[in-house]
Amino acid sequence: MSITLSGITKRFGDFTALDNVSLEARPGEFLALLGPSGSGKTTLLRIMAGLDFPDTGSVSFNGSDITDRPVADRAVGFVFQHYALFRHMTVAGNVGFGLSVKPRRERPTKEEIRRRVDDLLELVQLKHLGGRYPSQLSGGQRQRVALARALAVEPRILLLDEPFGALDAKVRKDLRRWLRELHERMGLTSIFVTHDQEEALELADRVVVMDHGKIEQVAVPVDVYDKPASAFVFDFVGESNRLPVTVGNGRIVFDNVAIEGAAPDIAEGAGQLFFRPHDARLTQEGAGVPATVSSARPRNGAVRIEAQVAGLELPLELDIPSDQAPSTGSAIFVQPTRAKLFPAGQTIASDQV
Amino acid sequence: MPGFGITLGFTLAYLSLLVLIPLSALFVRTAAGGWHEFIDVAFSRRAVASYRLTFGASLVAASVNMVFGLIIAWVLVRYRFPGKRLASAIVDLPFALPTAVAGIALTSLYANTGWVGQYLEPLGIQVAYKPLGIVVALTFIGLPFVVRSVEPVLADLGTDVEEAASSLGASRWQTFRLVILPAILPALFTGFALALARAVGEYGSVIFIAGNMPFHTEISPLLIVTQLEQFDYAGATGIAVVMLIVSFILLAVINLIQLWSRKRLAG
Repeated sequence: MSITLSGITKRFGDFTALDNVSLEARPGEFLALLGPSGSGKTTLLRIMAGLDFPDTGSVSFNGSDITDRPVADRAVGFVFQHYALFRHMTVAGNVGFGLSVKPRRERPTKEEIRRRVDDLLELVQLKHLGGRYPSQLSGGQRQRVALARALAVEPRILLLDEPFGALDAKVRKDLRRWLRELHERMGLTSIFVTHDQEEALELADRVVVMDHGKIEQVAVPVDVYDKPASAFVFDFVGESNRLPVTVGNGRIVFDNVAIEGAAPDIAEGAGQLFFRPHDARLTQEGAGVPATVSSARPRNGAVRIEAQVAGLELPLELDIPSDQAPSTGSAIFVQPTRAKLFPAGQTIASDQV
Repeated sequence: MPGFGITLGFTLAYLSLLVLIPLSALFVRTAAGGWHEFIDVAFSRRAVASYRLTFGASLVAASVNMVFGLIIAWVLVRYRFPGKRLASAIVDLPFALPTAVAGIALTSLYANTGWVGQYLEPLGIQVAYKPLGIVVALTFIGLPFVVRSVEPVLADLGTDVEEAASSLGASRWQTFRLVILPAILPALFTGFALALARAVGEYGSVIFIAGNMPFHTEISPLLIVTQLEQFDYAGATGIAVVMLIVSFILLAVINLIQLWSRKRLAG
């Protein structure tokens, strides 16, 4: 089922949570809403679910407008950040809840509900735990109960709010892979909210990067990383270095040093240049930004250099093959090999911290 | 656990001094009079009528409080509105007000010439000097117990379980009945039990509004005082013992219900 959001604006008092947001999720797609806290991603998800309603704009599923329909009529599965399990019901009771509250005419028989609950518990690999209460389960198990409960009503759309937020790293990784398989097997359209870029890049078909109630970029993970649409995306996704530069006469200049690696494709004047730690070259002399190595530590099969540049608050972070790594204290020249230029005015994620 | 011995010792000594010793004295005093005399005074027609009134009115009042206290707690937890703090403070007033003041105020309101009573009178509803008046007074003094017991549990429950229920297709009523009510039931019973216990022992506010007609509007605590004033100590303690036993049984039953619902909740 496709989801189309157009021109969604939502305010809470003076705070604009969403500012004229439009987005389309294709049928069967696995979409990640990625952004820092306060970017509006959860509000957007709740509006898709019908738990919140937009001030302006419309929501449609498969082309039909459902903007004013409450959550109960939308047939979406929603998995809450803290699971929101019913504490006084067993696991089986939780999973069967959606079936047992159906109007009498549509409600399956007790045996049918029991059978469906067993199937779902098998699907989430909790078959033997149907008689337990939520308080007796681990975080990962509760998460899967919440998922089974949402799937019981056979939604075509699955919405997940920070689904792995409260889990430890190992469980998170396993659950991620499992969720991805589940999504494909059931042919769902799934959308999840996360502030963890690694999670978004690893799991989603497309990533929606949000900031301050606006969408910054919608792209496949590779493009979000390699072709960031704005300074914010470059900074928020992956690691990056930032140099304040000036653009003029077709050249990019930092402190009288000409910078290569990027096209001077913005208006003349002040700009900011971003490059990844692995997209730079070091030389002992000549063409590059002069810097002093302040630390050199092994990292992911290379050496992570921190290099202090006069006039910059933060050191540059550079990944250099271990056989070429300079020693701490040595003077070097840094030249970006692949960089991207943005106008100086764009804010970045680190500015907001 | 460190400190177990000393805190348990303190607890037992404290409870004995404050509760157990006075109560046993009551039983000893009653036993001194002999079994037949006890039956005669404690189950006289007048005493039995007073028990029926006291416990009946208290149960009705506590039930009324259970319903309306829940609504008030709900409003105080779930909604934001101007004057919310004031409303919350008003809930506690029955705790703080001297009960006699409450009784006098209620009587003047509900007497057939009072502010409220004059409009009820033509409808054939008499409140003051009738059992209904006793229920009104007992409802008044019991309200805070239910509100304050339910409030924290309701706040702790959060809105996400409600949203989860409606996202699964449940109606508002199904959400209340199947999700919210079971979660707050133990707290609701606690409030009910406290309101009931308070109502059974209430004296000050009731005697003004009740009219105190033997067999009709005479509550047991008043009967006890009446017996004492006539120096009939055996009669007074006999009635007190019956009240004590019935109260104990009532509270025990409520505790059992609570234990059962809490067990279902904790799993």
